[in-house]
Amino acid sequence: MSDTVATGAVKTKRESTLGYLLPALLLIAFFFIVPVLMLLMRSVLEPEVGLQNYEALLGSTTYLRVFLNTFMVASIVTLVSIVIGYPVAWLLAIMPERWSRIVLAIIVLSMWTNLLARTYAWMVLLQRTGVINKTLMGLGLIDTPLALVNNLVGVTIGMTYIMLPFVILPLMGVIRTIDPAILRAAALCGAGKMQCFLRVLLPLSLPGIAAGALMVFVMSLGYFVTPALLGGTSNMMLAELVAQFVQSLVDWGMGGAAALVLLVVTLVLYAVQLRYFNPARGK
Amino acid sequence: MLLDFDKLGGLKTFLVALVVLVSLFLILPIVFIAALSFGSSQWLIFPPPSWTFKWYQDLFVDPRWLYSALTSLKIAAIVTVLSVVIGFLAALGLDRGRFAGRDFLRALFLTPMILPVVVLAVALYALFLKLGLAGTTIAFVIAHLLIALPFSIISIGNALAGFDRSIEDAAILCGANPWEARLRVTVPAIRHGIFGAAIFSFLASWDEVVLAIFMASPTLQTLPVKIWTTLRQDLTPVIAAASTLLIAFTILLMIVAALFRKGRKA
Repeated sequence: MSDTVATGAVKTKRESTLGYLLPALLLIAFFFIVPVLMLLMRSVLEPEVGLQNYEALLGSTTYLRVFLNTFMVASIVTLVSIVIGYPVAWLLAIMPERWSRIVLAIIVLSMWTNLLARTYAWMVLLQRTGVINKTLMGLGLIDTPLALVNNLVGVTIGMTYIMLPFVILPLMGVIRTIDPAILRAAALCGAGKMQCFLRVLLPLSLPGIAAGALMVFVMSLGYFVTPALLGGTSNMMLAELVAQFVQSLVDWGMGGAAALVLLVVTLVLYAVQLRYFNPARGK
Repeated sequence: MLLDFDKLGGLKTFLVALVVLVSLFLILPIVFIAALSFGSSQWLIFPPPSWTFKWYQDLFVDPRWLYSALTSLKIAAIVTVLSVVIGFLAALGLDRGRFAGRDFLRALFLTPMILPVVVLAVALYALFLKLGLAGTTIAFVIAHLLIALPFSIISIGNALAGFDRSIEDAAILCGANPWEARLRVTVPAIRHGIFGAAIFSFLASWDEVVLAIFMASPTLQTLPVKIWTTLRQDLTPVIAAASTLLIAFTILLMIVAALFRKGRKA
């Protein structure tokens, strides 16, 4: 009997299901798909029809340096985040809950803290007269203040600070699903700590590492605020270039072209993530 | 062995030390900013020579700060309501619908979240310039709604997936019409998902910088835009004061969320 009831209810709902999706669909269509397509169109229509914007973008060493720098910053931030984040996630996955709770609260608090507030903190900490330089000079480690801001060092520190939680939290989840008995078995069979780590723990957590790395890499590629505030003019990133074309130069053709490059790279990496690292698809 | 906390041996010291260092790395800048906001030094010398409320006074005396905070609040409130309502409908449609392209639609709804936000910002800016909406509240709301909606769809969608639909059907059997059943049975049952959607939507708008920079006009700015434009000029301690208030607000929201979660378990 319950079967007939359920099908009856489904039937009345099935007719209106598409209606529920309509508001979200309209919003996405008119204010997401249409404007993004319009922007991309402008890259081949302005100032005249053709690919001259892309030729200018890909043919000039100035812009090539922006591309290289974007990939370099994203790679460094990803690498540092994984190297630091992995051991933290590892310990968090196995330490007593009363301690891991405190660390998790700190991680979540930092994640939820306003992005500008966090970036501002690093601008102040890293400046020439900032605490870090003062401390290093006080300890006698350096004689003159180090340039820590408006360069690659500043961007790397500021972005790693933001990305670390995005590595730690998912990795912790992956390591928690690994059965400790497997590692006990490896140890029983005579594997040393190093061997256990390199040949059992690390391979088993590799899907998590890859997924986390890809996510941080993609997020870093399109980052705007932190590079703009902590980076220098000589190491501009792609998102800043897009903004600069539109805001300062009012060159919509070039802006659209740069946006397309960023968009394509992001979507390709996102597709790779969906194809190979989607937890819903299983391992 | 490597996954038994008590049997880590020498590794334990190393890992614990690293976790402590990373925790300090994550928390100290936030504490530092809060401390500096009460410091008397215009040049942000640390430790401060003396303590003062001057920067908070500056913040509250300047109507532009207050006005931008109110603007942020207004936009975030509208975005939260719209995001929860539209997100609820969309999540319901995705949960109940059995049609081709459902997975595609779900992915499409979530795309604004994974796209580089600067691309969306520039594209919307161009559109709103054409429509004559640049620098209006409507422009802000639409832009923020796009990035808040995925949070609502995920949060409410997860709650709906865990909800036993036969309870809703039972209400209909007992004579309720479908919407009555949904509002009086389904909505209360998935309230934690709706609450999560509201908090994330609010924060998505309240903290958002990049879209806001492009949507703003000299007369209409949200708090993050005001901080951004001030920050580009100098590192005044007034920003430390504004940041500290934002951090306090965040902690408050976290506590509310935690209490809500506790209430759900009890």
